[in-house]
Amino acid sequence: MKHIFLALLGLLTLSVQAQNNFKVPKYEKFKLKNGLTVYLMEQHEVPLINVSAVFDAGSIHDGEKYGLASLTADALTFGTQKYTKEQIEEITDYVGANLNTGAGKESANIGMSFAVKDQDKMLDILQQVLMYPVFNETEYAKHKQRTLLELTQQKESPRAVIGNYFNQLVFDKHPYATPSGGTRPTVEKIGTADVKEFYRTNYTTDRAAIAVVGDFNTAAMKKKITSMFGGWKTAPGRMIKRSAPDLSFDKSRVLLVNKGDARETTFLIGGRGVDYNNPDYVPILVVNTILGGRFTSWLNDALRVNSGLTYGAGSRFSRLKHGGTFYISTFTKNSTTVPAIDMALGVLDSLHRTGLNEEILASAKAYVKGDFPPEYESAGALARLLTDMFIYGFDESYINTFQSKVDGLTVAQANDIIKRYFPREHLQFVLIGKADEIRDQVKKYGAVTERDIKEPGF
Amino acid sequence: MMLRRLVLGVLLAVGIHSTYAQSNPNDVKTFTLPNGMKFLVLEDHSIPTANMYLFWKVGARNEVHGITGLSHFFEHMMFNGSRNYGPKQFDRVMEANGGSNNAYTTENVTVYTDWFQKDALETIFKLESDRIANLSIDSAMVESERGVVLSERSTGLENSNYRVISEVVKSVAFQEHPYMFPVIGFESDIKSWTQQDLENYFKTYYSPNNATVVVVGDVTVDQVRRLANQYMAPIPARGLPPKVRTVEPEQNGERRVTTYKDITTPNLMLAYHTPETGHADYYALDLLSSLLTSGNSSRLVKSLVMDTTIAARIFTNFPEGFDPNLFYIYAIAGDGVSAPELEKAILAQLDKVIKEGVTDTELQKVKNQKLMEFYRTMETINGKANSLGTYEVFFGDYRKLYEAPKLYEKVTPADIQRVAAKYFTERNRTVGYLLPEKGK
Repeated sequence: MKHIFLALLGLLTLSVQAQNNFKVPKYEKFKLKNGLTVYLMEQHEVPLINVSAVFDAGSIHDGEKYGLASLTADALTFGTQKYTKEQIEEITDYVGANLNTGAGKESANIGMSFAVKDQDKMLDILQQVLMYPVFNETEYAKHKQRTLLELTQQKESPRAVIGNYFNQLVFDKHPYATPSGGTRPTVEKIGTADVKEFYRTNYTTDRAAIAVVGDFNTAAMKKKITSMFGGWKTAPGRMIKRSAPDLSFDKSRVLLVNKGDARETTFLIGGRGVDYNNPDYVPILVVNTILGGRFTSWLNDALRVNSGLTYGAGSRFSRLKHGGTFYISTFTKNSTTVPAIDMALGVLDSLHRTGLNEEILASAKAYVKGDFPPEYESAGALARLLTDMFIYGFDESYINTFQSKVDGLTVAQANDIIKRYFPREHLQFVLIGKADEIRDQVKKYGAVTERDIKEPGF
Repeated sequence: MMLRRLVLGVLLAVGIHSTYAQSNPNDVKTFTLPNGMKFLVLEDHSIPTANMYLFWKVGARNEVHGITGLSHFFEHMMFNGSRNYGPKQFDRVMEANGGSNNAYTTENVTVYTDWFQKDALETIFKLESDRIANLSIDSAMVESERGVVLSERSTGLENSNYRVISEVVKSVAFQEHPYMFPVIGFESDIKSWTQQDLENYFKTYYSPNNATVVVVGDVTVDQVRRLANQYMAPIPARGLPPKVRTVEPEQNGERRVTTYKDITTPNLMLAYHTPETGHADYYALDLLSSLLTSGNSSRLVKSLVMDTTIAARIFTNFPEGFDPNLFYIYAIAGDGVSAPELEKAILAQLDKVIKEGVTDTELQKVKNQKLMEFYRTMETINGKANSLGTYEVFFGDYRKLYEAPKLYEKVTPADIQRVAAKYFTERNRTVGYLLPEKGK
């Protein structure tokens, strides 16, 4: 298969060389006296303003209370000193603005988008939500009830939960293992007192940033943001030393999650990836594009195009601050589970055995370069880029040197990247499907642990 | 809507215009080739990228029993080889040139979307024109693609309860019109359509005069015109496809349908027949949809999800239609709430709109939301291309995109009350229940 594939590629015209190099638009970064980092970037295409605020208040701080960071972020909008939850929603909806809060593993994020003419109104809400949330008991109780139901309902979709099972399997004792959304037993126990304490401890100005991107004048916005947040006093931030997760596996393991009514098996196969700031990430991205990062990738070509086993197959490196994972993901009907897994493993193995050549590398380079500028086209995306820089500790050189790093990658280097970063053995498997129909066949991949999808947690 | 491949967050929003939006109708240049293929071009030099959206007026409404799902399957086959680019080459050439693509099929249209670096414009024209002029339907590719689409159907039903319930509700709400068919098709049809079916479909629907092509991005109108003349103009026009003859008769009595799955709480769907997209009531109905479920302060979300816990989730869907289609309300019951209780609570809210109407402030709110949706759509070249094409095919003129503000602005509280009373009637209603398996 691969041989034919490479021969065909030789016929292609690889003419795209002179592309405009995408750079991060000009922005201003400064720190308020209380330590809050602020980014301002003007973008005048449409009369909108986008805000992205981040705090070092992700689920990595959950401890045993899985879901605490997430519930706290949700509850920021459940009333403030000045507004009730209902008023916040009325005001926001009336002007067609968006206000979202949430927490991932590394951070809590507050996002806003509003029209220039509504900025005073919406920035006031932002200030209230960040500085003066009251965590109304009644609203919290309703939200908790909805959350508990969602935690059960999300298991109706394997795709919605498979990542949680995988993280639990591979990160094991590390805080990255726990589900950010919580589990029923842990969420049951979390009350407003927990949420208030989490807010007090983790929403601190010295470990937070606000990015504002859109149609404004930088000097005027700087004044505004400084007067709004300059006087904000919080507890001092906690500097918690985190260790990197240990993702060196000495044997393959299979977590088989039974879903009694499954019509297909959904699976992830993977292992150790890289942390967010790994200096080799750009070449890794280029190589992964070939393996499983685009339509013509080897995985999609084998499992979808050649064999019709699935609607889609791919692979990715999922990066967190202190470590990351690599995984192959796809799904196939119950009866073709093993052929699909075998084929995916065969493709990964062929990457190691055969490596890459000049043509395929050139194609992947063109593809990732073409894909890059649209990722940062909207003001909202740029605002998130700026706060990502804060959370993960990188700067615009990542963006500005992206193209030259792609261009500079040689075949020899790419083949070295495969050896160093792409897992080959002791792979970790999560399969969600009808256990009765696949249990015996999947033993060959490693020691099987079995669970039922309806059991709480992951 | 069925996508060629799995992606999250595909933009289908159709927006409106205000006096201070950046592009205006005169920035869009149009021309029609002698073979009838129409082009809309909007220059946008904000990033060194461009796109091409090809809207074909063919979708599930053009199907009959035996070939349900063929429009969508065809969308897949358009990537599987043409005279100068054999199987797989369309994607390989595009990706090697820094481009990528996707496609989607709805009840009404099939849309092909290409994104590329500006220097690849000619390559895109070569690829697109070759498959339109000289598609080859390779039988081995048909077989593997059949498996792909069966997997696409299966993964949709596995992961989305909305898919499960909407398919059964549609099939009952429509007794005659082909909108009754799921876009993905029936499983037995997917397994059995033939080479001949595909060849006929191509000849019937893929004539250049059945397409509208939108190009937005860092290219010039002159470049697009020159390349269109070079690559698309030589493709001969065939006759226009036959009209869809079947007209759904007025529904005269509530219809109910129930199905089961191993789920946690009941799912409910209400569907009301509404007119085609070009109809004068479109704007009032679209605003009514927002009044009901756009934002936490909207009628249904506030009363059923925020103030109480009757529903875990609720939203409306008011899809486009060349022919009269449906207005959907979908809800997931809260813990311990039965399907009839949920139904009653939703109907009480609809009755309230019918009896008491809505306030000026409430209506102004959703008009403001429409304007913001417009800006967010027009912020990206993909949003621009999709909106321009959607307005051109469904409203007959892309300029309607820019006129929409006036038309939305004209809608009064009385109009909202009138359309609610007119369409939200018991006789015009189909109610679907997706219930947890009995005994579980």
